[in-house]
Amino acid sequence: MNHQNHDGVGPDRGRDADRDEFGEEAFDEAAFEADFGAGLLEEELRQAAAILDPVPAELRQLALEAYALHDLDARIAELTFDSLVDAIPVRGATDPPRMLTFRAGELTVDVEVTGEGLMGQVLPPQSARIEVLGGPQAAAPVPVDDMGRFMSDTPPAGPFALRLRAGGDVIVTEWLRA
Amino acid sequence: MRSGTAPSTAYDDRPYTRGEAVDRAEVGVLVQSAVDGDAAAWKALVEGLSPLVWSVVRAHRLSDADGHEVYQTVWFRFAQNLGRIREPEKAGSWLASTARHECLKVIRSLTRLMPTDDPQVLDRVSEDRTPEQTLIDSEEAAAEAERIRRLWQEFEELGERCRQLLRVLMASPPPSYVDVSAALGIAVGSIGPLRQRCLRRLKARLEARGAL
Repeated sequence: MNHQNHDGVGPDRGRDADRDEFGEEAFDEAAFEADFGAGLLEEELRQAAAILDPVPAELRQLALEAYALHDLDARIAELTFDSLVDAIPVRGATDPPRMLTFRAGELTVDVEVTGEGLMGQVLPPQSARIEVLGGPQAAAPVPVDDMGRFMSDTPPAGPFALRLRAGGDVIVTEWLRA
Repeated sequence: MRSGTAPSTAYDDRPYTRGEAVDRAEVGVLVQSAVDGDAAAWKALVEGLSPLVWSVVRAHRLSDADGHEVYQTVWFRFAQNLGRIREPEKAGSWLASTARHECLKVIRSLTRLMPTDDPQVLDRVSEDRTPEQTLIDSEEAAAEAERIRRLWQEFEELGERCRQLLRVLMASPPPSYVDVSAALGIAVGSIGPLRQRCLRRLKARLEARGAL
């Protein structure tokens, strides 16, 4: 990431494509830059943001640690239903549970998250080992019955994922904000 | 506004704050190296792209708690999908667009939107002693801090559309228009003209306040 602009404030950052397509606009933009130094004002904003609203250090650290979540051996179960997005709100229901469905190939995991915790079911029904992941370092096993039903009385406190070991496979659900 | 030939020495040692753009080819190489187990490559990706993710979060005015969770979710999911990202050189756009979608989900989940009118943001120069501010100890630096505070205040009071666009554009290093498009869901071709209008408006506000 050492690609330098000509003067450090210019608009040279992959905008050439726009320029070809929007020749006139590009001309206006160039004139405008010369006119009052929009690039300079933007650069001042960039400095202000770096001082007044930088990435919090603890978040940057978590992003660094997230590398541990990189696991090529695990299959990802993709989110295929999220009541937050896909469901029509029920009139009068003030705090409806969050219903989620993840799918990896033939395997489906239904999860319901409430203020009391989470519960769910692996389909087709089968025994599995399941952990709730809360970040790069946090993993808590949850009890699962022979039919693949599981329950935890600890609601996720932030982003979470489920890691399942079933039939010799390791499957991780897409990370999600509870 | 001070001239471009006299950058503030106080902030010169901050990485990525001066005109470096994220090089897409390099991002592609870093993603591939990280997939192959190179932790330093991952670190470089975090250093180079985390301000973009944070800018997208801040552009959507989430509460601090929600914003922090979105930021984490985005990076956890990026790590999880690292080896499966189809166009590694577009990792910046992938992150920006994932951040946007998570932000929109949060906004949808709230019965009413609570904008982050965090008064601390404006007071940070004078109160919080972050590492940056320990550098601000001379009178000259205090004047500089005041100038930056006024600039930020005028920026915060811009209309929502301009505030959002500029908050993403000011990520460091500067995001490409393709990444900005992914971050805000607006066409690449309209970013340039919008940017012009918003910066012009900001400049007019600063001039009206005698802050330039």
